[in-house]
Amino acid sequence: MSNLRLVPLIVERDIRILFSDTFLIGIMFANFGIDLFVTAATFGRLIPQSVLHENYFLYIAPGSNFVTAMVAAFQSGRDVWREKYIKDLASYLLTLPAPRRVLALSRIAGGVARSVIATFPGTLVISYLYGILVDPRVFAAFLIVGLFSLGIVGLSISLSAFASSIEVFVTVRSAIQLYLSFLSTLFYRTDVFPSFLVPIVVSNPMTWAVEAFRSLPHAQGLIGPISVLVIPSLVFAALGMASYLWYARL
Amino acid sequence: MSSSPTPGNASNSPTQASGPASPILQIALRDISVLFRTPWIIISRSLAFIIQLFVFAFLISGLVVIPGRPSSYFFEYYAVGSVVGTIASISFIIGYDIFEEAEEGVLDYLLTLPVSRRQFIIGRALGGAIRAMIYIIPMFVIVAVLEHFNNPASLAAAVLDLFLLAFGVTGLSITVAVSVRSANRFDVVLALLELAVSRASTALYPIAFMPSYVAAVAPFSPVSFAADSTRSALTDVTLNFPSLLGLVAFVVIFLGLGSAFYFRKLEGGVYA
Repeated sequence: MSNLRLVPLIVERDIRILFSDTFLIGIMFANFGIDLFVTAATFGRLIPQSVLHENYFLYIAPGSNFVTAMVAAFQSGRDVWREKYIKDLASYLLTLPAPRRVLALSRIAGGVARSVIATFPGTLVISYLYGILVDPRVFAAFLIVGLFSLGIVGLSISLSAFASSIEVFVTVRSAIQLYLSFLSTLFYRTDVFPSFLVPIVVSNPMTWAVEAFRSLPHAQGLIGPISVLVIPSLVFAALGMASYLWYARL
Repeated sequence: MSSSPTPGNASNSPTQASGPASPILQIALRDISVLFRTPWIIISRSLAFIIQLFVFAFLISGLVVIPGRPSSYFFEYYAVGSVVGTIASISFIIGYDIFEEAEEGVLDYLLTLPVSRRQFIIGRALGGAIRAMIYIIPMFVIVAVLEHFNNPASLAAAVLDLFLLAFGVTGLSITVAVSVRSANRFDVVLALLELAVSRASTALYPIAFMPSYVAAVAPFSPVSFAADSTRSALTDVTLNFPSLLGLVAFVVIFLGLGSAFYFRKLEGGVYA
């Protein structure tokens, strides 16, 4: 069996872990529902169209889905952390007939697959709201969610490699989630921020992801909105892979 | 395993000698020290509060338009609500502690202590509420200073509202902790519950702007009771009796349920 044929098997294992408790997927969708149909719907009524020159509910709607993708992607890092520190599975995984690079690559691919699955209904809902559900641009929507997840999975696996306790993991995860959510254009445009925060906001992966999604209804081609996410996501994924290889040294 | 103190234990324990309230206090003090031994939780929740208030609320209030109100109104509204939401969030943590103790076997040790089951449970709920209050006070002070709340009676009434909410949420958290068996499931159920009671409430936005399906349930959220009552005390300098009553009912129901479930778990259905 060639090495690359092992990738789907390892990805399948990660997906099976996700589906081992379908209740969890339901809860993630419920979180998305609360974010979108409670918080975003209410803020949509608080901020009139005249202020932003667009519907605020639609403006923040993709953010609800990216927040879910972020939570699902961090869950992959948490699972990797639990395998090493709680379940003591790291040694077993390293005995599998997969070279370490293939194993690391597959874990990241598995994390992305899990995140895309967890956000699948959410991506469909937002695509419907954006009027691209029955349009080839819906594939671009899934690709954007996948690329964003790739970056966050890489980041979460890096974090799991360096966090010595679950408290450290959870705290750093919370800090990253706060940065991604509140210091991005998820809730407001760049011109609303004080000038000293603008460089932080424009270099935020969440900004790139939500802006890419928002540009879909007006996009002529699919490459434009997606291209901005490719390089940073690959960099974060490479970081995650390097960290996993470092962490796998016994 | 006996729940009554042994003579030896009683003679060695100053808590037993100093009256019946002391064991409850000792249990509560233990929970308080547990929270402060894990500073990461305090750091992450404090960071979330600061960013929510000084970044999110500050920026979003510039976009929000509420007819007949000044532009600063939403920031002031949100600031009080974020204190209420944060105390609800920190009060949920007791559930994580109780779940972990059961998983790690610490609960067995705790049950050997010379403290009755009833005192043990009241102590846990009280400890959860007091530590949430200790944690929230600096944030409450920040909001009070920002919004010039200086009426002692109003401040005292607001603190009472926050304490009642903390006490009730502690009971709710204990109920969930002893009802859910899987660790992963427990994590997400508690997170969802926390999100639902905070977001579908009047803590962060006025009920008039909620969609009808949220406005129908929001008045019954315990966080709404606490937020409405706290705002009445601080901004209108009045007591909001319906909200206060709702808050007391929430405390009685969930403290009772939490105790009953915890008793059942401890004694296999036989109440001490």
